[in-house]
Formats: sequence, C-alpha cells, structure tokens
Amino acid sequence: MPFFMLIFRNLLRQRIRTLLTALGISLGITTVVALGVVTHSLKATAEDILHAGGADFAIGQSGSADLSFSTLTEEQLEDVAAYPEVNHAIGVLMAFSSLGSNPYFVQLGIEPSDLEHFDVPLLEGRYLARGATDEMLLGEEGASQLDKNLGDTVELKDRTFTVVGIYRTGNVWEDGGAILPLATVQEYERKGGLMTLIYVKAKVGTDLDALTARIEEDHPELATLRTLSDYNEVDQGMQMMDAANLAISFLAVFIGGIGVMNTMVMSVMERTREFGILRAVGWRQRRVLQMVLGESVLLCLIGALIGSILAVVFTRAILIFPAVRSFLEPEYTPDVFIRGLVVGVAVALLGALYPAIRAVRLSPIQAIRYE
Amino acid sequence: MNRDRIAIDVQEVVKTYEEGRIRALSGATLQVREGEFVAITGPSGCGKSTLLHLIAALDRPDSGRIVVDGMDLAEVRDLSTYRSHRVGLVFQLHNLLPTLSASANVQIPMYEAELSLWERRAKAQRLLEAVGLGDRANTPPIKLSGGERQRVAIARALANDPPILLADEPTGNLDSKAGEMVLDLLRTIQQKRGVTLVLVSHDAQIASAAERVVRMLDGRVVDEGLSGHPAG
Ligand SMILES: Nc1ncnc2c1ncn2[C@@H]1O[C@H](COP(=O)(O)OP(=O)(O)O)[C@@H](O)[C@H]1O
Ligand SMILES: [Mg+2]
Repeated sequence: MPFFMLIFRNLLRQRIRTLLTALGISLGITTVVALGVVTHSLKATAEDILHAGGADFAIGQSGSADLSFSTLTEEQLEDVAAYPEVNHAIGVLMAFSSLGSNPYFVQLGIEPSDLEHFDVPLLEGRYLARGATDEMLLGEEGASQLDKNLGDTVELKDRTFTVVGIYRTGNVWEDGGAILPLATVQEYERKGGLMTLIYVKAKVGTDLDALTARIEEDHPELATLRTLSDYNEVDQGMQMMDAANLAISFLAVFIGGIGVMNTMVMSVMERTREFGILRAVGWRQRRVLQMVLGESVLLCLIGALIGSILAVVFTRAILIFPAVRSFLEPEYTPDVFIRGLVVGVAVALLGALYPAIRAVRLSPIQAIRYE
Repeated sequence: MNRDRIAIDVQEVVKTYEEGRIRALSGATLQVREGEFVAITGPSGCGKSTLLHLIAALDRPDSGRIVVDGMDLAEVRDLSTYRSHRVGLVFQLHNLLPTLSASANVQIPMYEAELSLWERRAKAQRLLEAVGLGDRANTPPIKLSGGERQRVAIARALANDPPILLADEPTGNLDSKAGEMVLDLLRTIQQKRGVTLVLVSHDAQIASAAERVVRMLDGRVVDEGLSGHPAG
C-alpha cells in the first residue's frame, strides 16, 4: 500500500469527525476565498471607473474620503483642458439613487457633446442630442433590470426620461446604470457647475507620469488617478476592505487551526498504542511525523476544496441582489484559490504541529504498555 | 548460521522504572546462540517482557551491556534500522493495525526498506503464504481469528528478514489448539529459516517446546537451562 494511502485510510477511520473538521476548515477557506474574489472584483471595478470612456486617467478632488464626495468646478475642468498634452478633458458628475430593485442605480452626467470623445459603444439607438434635458442612455444590464427597451420612458427623480440608446461598455458599474445630460444631473443633485471626476485623454505619445505629476504640482487640490493606489487618495473604502480582509482571514486561519489541532490531538491520543507498534517495528520518527502531518494536510486540502466550491457558490449567489450586480462582477483568478490552498496548508501544519510532536516523542515502550 | 556463535549476549542488565522505585531487572545475564530456540519463563512481573524489550532496543538499560550479533546496543546509532532489520517482534495483544488488511500490516516494517510498492506487496504475499494465510491477504484483522492474527504478526515480524525473532507470550490469548499451531509455526520458521528464536511465556508447557528453557525470578535469570542442551 502506498504511504499516501496509509494516510488516507487513517482519515477514513473516523469519517464523521474527518468530515466535520474538514467542514470547519472549509468555512474559513470559504471566507478567505470569497473575500479574495470580492476584493479583487471590486478593485477591478475601481480600475474600470478610473479608465471609463477609454480615458488615460481620471482626476478627483484630493483627500476625499469617498469618491462620491469629490467635487470639481468648471474652472478646474478648463485648467486641465488647457494643458497642451491634453486632448480631451471630460467632466462627469456621478449620482446614485434607488431605482426599481436597485438601491444604487448609477447615473453619469455627461455633456452630450462630450460623448463624441467618451467611448460608450451603443448596442442600439443614438447618443444624447445636444441640449436635450430628458434623454437617457441606458446600460444593457440596467435596461434588463428595469425591463426597458429603446424608446421606453424611465421615471427618475420626479422626471421622465426617454431611452434613446442602449450601450454596453463591459464595466459592470456603467452597464448597470445610465448616462444623462450633465446639466440635468447637476440640477436634480443641486450641484450646479460641479462634477465628480474629470476624465483625461492625452495626446498620443504623452508621458503620462510627467503630465499627472505636473497637474498635481500645479493644482494640489486635484488628485490624478491612474492606478488603484491612486484611487486610495480619493476613497478609503478599498484600504479598509483590504484591512478587514486580512483580519478576517487571520481569524479564519486561527479558528480552523484550533479545530484541526483538536481533531489531530484526539486522533493521536487514540492511536498511542499504534504509534508504539510502528516505532517498535522500526519506523523512524521522521516517518511518524510525515504520517501525522500528512493526515492533517490531506484533511485541510479536503477542507480547502469544499471551501473553494462554497466560495464560488456564495459569490455567485450574492449576485441575485441588483445592488451587488451593479458594481461587482466576480472574477475567479487563480491567485485567490492558491491563497485558499496556502491558508489550508498553513492551518494544517499549524494545527498538527503539537499533536505530531507528541506522536513523535512517544517512546515505543510507553506506547506499547499503554492500556 | 553458526550454532557456536553467540547471537544475544545480555550482561548484568539492570532496568528500573519510576526513578528507581520499580526494579524490573536487577542484573540479568543471558546468552543465546545463533539459530537457537530459547524460552524464557518465570512468574508474572519477574521482568521477562522488560528483558525482551531491551533486546529489541525499544528502551535502554540503566546499566549492563546487551550485545546482539556483535553490536553493543549502547553504541548503535540508528535504532530504527536495528528494530526494522535485526529483530522481529511479536506481542501478546493488539499487534496489528485494525484498519489495514493482513497484507498491509505485513508491509508496515517494509516502509523502512528500499522496496517498491510491488516488491512490498509480493513479499507480503510470500510471507503470508509461509504462515498459511496466503488466501487472507486482503482480510482486515477483525475478520481473522486470534490464531490467524498472531500468524499475521509473525509474518510482519519477518518482513525484513531479521536473523532474530522475539515473541512475548504469543500464545497467551489463544486457546490451546490455536496456541499449538502458532508455536509449531514459530518452531518451523526457526528451523527452516535458521533464525534465533526467543519466546517468553509464563506457561511451562509452552516453554517446554524450546530447545532450552531459561527461568527468571525477581529480575534475574536464575537458571540458564544449559545442562539439557546437546551442545552444552
Ligand atoms: N513502563 C513501566 N513503568 C513502570 N513499571 C513497569 C514498566 N514496565 C514494567 N514495569 C514493572 O516492571 C516489572 C517487570 O515487568 P515485566 O517485564 O512486564 O514482567 P513480566 O513480563 O515478566 O510479567 C513489573 O513489576 C512491572 O510492573
Ligand atoms: Mg510480560
């Protein structure tokens, strides 16, 4: 019988205990993997926001605790547009309000003439007409959630808008919402002349590092946003999420480790006599160690497998909420599963260390006398 | 095998437990020749098992010397190899791992030998055939009779072809018929394979099956039984 099978057989002895322990570990792994998927996906969404409309970078108000608090003026927009390297500077006012089943329906206010330079691929219909106040472009996902088609009307903020176009950008937060004339959004949000972000498209061949550095130097009240770490300057949510993620993962590892330790201590104590026999017939301490650690690692790998499956099920399940669907598209990258696996093995080794040392230290004579 | 060579030489061995309060052996001396079948008898608690365990290097004596095949056990570095290859052990009870088949049990000591999976399996099969259990290779201990279990334990003790076999009350838990069979098997192995066999039993009748009977009392060997030995 291969050594591996010996390890496997030992786990099968107490099937219920093995299963329950694996389930306990799996909950920790589920947490780690699901949080990993969610964080990763939210970061992807954040990156999408920074490069909406095909922009090279975005500009917000520096020091905003939350992106929606960022306010920029028309003068600031003109200042940015005045840089010779800037091809287009497009101001966007973001608003969120409850609409239909979605409590965070995203509204992007854009000057209709700017849509020529802001990439929004239309599936059908046309762009907003210049000067129009009651027209709306609806994202594909938003349209399906609201059950609206081209030409239908949508009630929003006590106004009636006509859907003149349906678009798909591939970004969940845009596709779940709508694009409206800037002036209209400014009016109903009572933010006359204000914007949330400025999207910048630079001329071809521009050194973006130099340009963003110069803008920030000339205008300390502006924060240029190209990467996720820039994003932290205008929104602390991401940092808090990373910290929470780490803390919860540690907790999950700790709880899992205690469960594994409990099971392995019991399992080693029950088999004291067997360990004595194994040592008496010549098994080395190293082999006993390998067996006990092997059992623990295998147990945790089973837990990690169950946990990863549960994490996928869980992250798919939360998508039934339209609010979640409008800014989260779960991405299952290998690294989150690898992290789950690493956590599983760490839990296994941590939890099995003490019982394994106990098993190895048993003197064969003591173990054989044990009755 | 050389009948005149000393296989096991136990000299003035003392072994105490619980910080000296229990004196299990107090100067035991014994010599066993290569290929010999020796039985050790004596009342319960006189130190028979302790002596056997020390010869098997499961523990170290407080004082005295044990020399096996010319090796002073106090100087043996690699006790695992000694245990797996130089001696084979059969206990009275709880010998086998309950979740493993007979064959897997016999293979246990072979993990410390350089054998492939197939070699281990084939060798276990040969050994099981040698103890008359060739058709029970896949049977778990729970489905074997007491005598059959003890025969599996004997096959396991022979796994790495040790020159010495140590059996501690191997028939102690068996009815007389099964005990007889196990005893016959041990004797056959000793004769056919030429192994040195040391059998511990408090039962004088079982002991009488041996070529020589050694008597112990209060942690000492009181009679090495040499007079009756043909070569003595
Ligand atoms: N590990 C141990 N701890 C304490 N006392 C022991 C231990 N092993 C043996 N003894 C004691 O040593 C004495 C000899 O025991 P043992 O060698 O088992 O005798 P036998 O096998 O002849 O019955 C007994 O008094 C026994 O209780
Ligand atoms: Mg005894």
